[in-house]
Amino acid sequence: MTVVAEVQGLTKQFGKVHAVDDVSFTLTENRIYGLLGRNGAGKTTLMSLLTAQEFATRGTIRVFGENPVENAGVLARTAFIKESQRYPEDFRVKHVLSSAPWFFAGWDADFAAALVDDFRLPLDRRIKKLSRGQLSAVGVIVGLASRAPLTFFDEPYLGLDAVARQLFYDRLLTDYAEHPRTIVLSTHLIDEVSNLLEHVLVIDEGRILIDSDADTLRGAATTIAGTASAVDAFTRGREVLHRESIGGLASATVGALDAAGRRDASAAGLELAPVSLQQLIVRTTTSGEDLS
Amino acid sequence: MTTAALGRTTRVVRLHLANPRTTIVLPALILGAIFVLTYAIWWLVSTNLDPSDAADASNGTQYSGAPGWIFFYMLVVAVQAMNLTFPLALGYGSTRRDFYLGSALTFVLLSAGWAIALTVLSALETLTGGWGIGMHMFTTIYFGGGENETWQRLVIFFCLMLFFFFTGAVFATVFVRWKATGLVAAFIAIGALLVGVIALVTYTRSWDAVGAFFLQAQALGTALWLLVPTAIAGVTGYLVLRHATPRS
Repeated sequence: MTVVAEVQGLTKQFGKVHAVDDVSFTLTENRIYGLLGRNGAGKTTLMSLLTAQEFATRGTIRVFGENPVENAGVLARTAFIKESQRYPEDFRVKHVLSSAPWFFAGWDADFAAALVDDFRLPLDRRIKKLSRGQLSAVGVIVGLASRAPLTFFDEPYLGLDAVARQLFYDRLLTDYAEHPRTIVLSTHLIDEVSNLLEHVLVIDEGRILIDSDADTLRGAATTIAGTASAVDAFTRGREVLHRESIGGLASATVGALDAAGRRDASAAGLELAPVSLQQLIVRTTTSGEDLS
Repeated sequence: MTTAALGRTTRVVRLHLANPRTTIVLPALILGAIFVLTYAIWWLVSTNLDPSDAADASNGTQYSGAPGWIFFYMLVVAVQAMNLTFPLALGYGSTRRDFYLGSALTFVLLSAGWAIALTVLSALETLTGGWGIGMHMFTTIYFGGGENETWQRLVIFFCLMLFFFFTGAVFATVFVRWKATGLVAAFIAIGALLVGVIALVTYTRSWDAVGAFFLQAQALGTALWLLVPTAIAGVTGYLVLRHATPRS
């Protein structure tokens, strides 16, 4: 596996706030990463650091083996349209589509045109006059059609309706299959994209809480439900991520269960249910516990 | 500069000019409208003048400030280029260095284009005897008056344009990097510097010398001297933007 980006002990401070706090991870070639976390968790800052739009306070960043800061060769292979991206005052949608190809070697104009139709974007409308969803669509189109070897999507679904969001996920997957590249998708709509993701990075208060293969993570926790006494007996000595009870009934989310564990649970009359990625992440980021 | 580096610079130029409406079409339209209005007013005045006063009145229009706005307009164009085009260029994967070089090249090209247009208009003005009615708009005293050679006016227009572009750009880079606080600090610093210079000139009783300098330099010399603050602004803008981050 070729490493595309490597981050060591990365910290970004804004005054006293640690937007990114001593973070280390690697991104490998041709994978779809989910950068998951709550609003203000540090997702945009982290992506800005990787694309050298922000300067690190401490730590090292290597993208395509080099420091990305003011590195034309590296930055030419990245695309990062922010969720709050700003455009020149007088720009219309068509100006974005005509200027982007000058900057991305892999730009596919036909693909861009097809996406404009898909998202029903008015080419002649000023960027300032676009709705939130249309503005997101502009960013999505630049990100997809650029085919940059390292592409970032920053909460690309904001303001998009369910149909348009599905459209984005479908086009992303289809194009990714034909033109593999490294994609980082920041989101807090976790269940919607969970099937798309191959690897998950969960960030909270500037720290990486989970850095794991998505498939591994899907089996990383189980919810057991039954009578409160049976649940308590079963969870004794196990790590409990979450516990709820109503009257004499209770459910608890515990870490991965092996075959023996599953047998014990069934024998105790407990029901087992898988935990969705979203539930798992909600539980880890609210309790602040480290699961990895 | 390598071919690749040149390409990275010229695509920034193209980005600035992707929509020529703001930098070329709109100012041309405004210039046309101002010309028509000035012409109408001066036609009214000149046709109702006593013929013996005509020459004197025509001299008066040498002090018209009609085309002055275009320079301030370009200052605003430079501010927006630094403030709004910068974040998009970075999103497209441009470096700050390439963005700044491309922007500077854009300013030079626009200055040249506008200087040529204004010079052609000034030559026509001289040729037609002030558009047939002794009017001054492109040959005013600030551009060296009607007696100047055409090439001198070209140099004056070009230097003035460059000065306003790079002045707008340097303040915009200060804003992008340090926001309003930085801008206020910069204005205070420059204000203090100016007061210091005024105090120095006053205490050394050198105002006569200053006046003599400008009289001797005339419009052409003054415009050429403007290249000094323009160059300082150009270099400062680069140094400031090198470490600026686009804020949303």
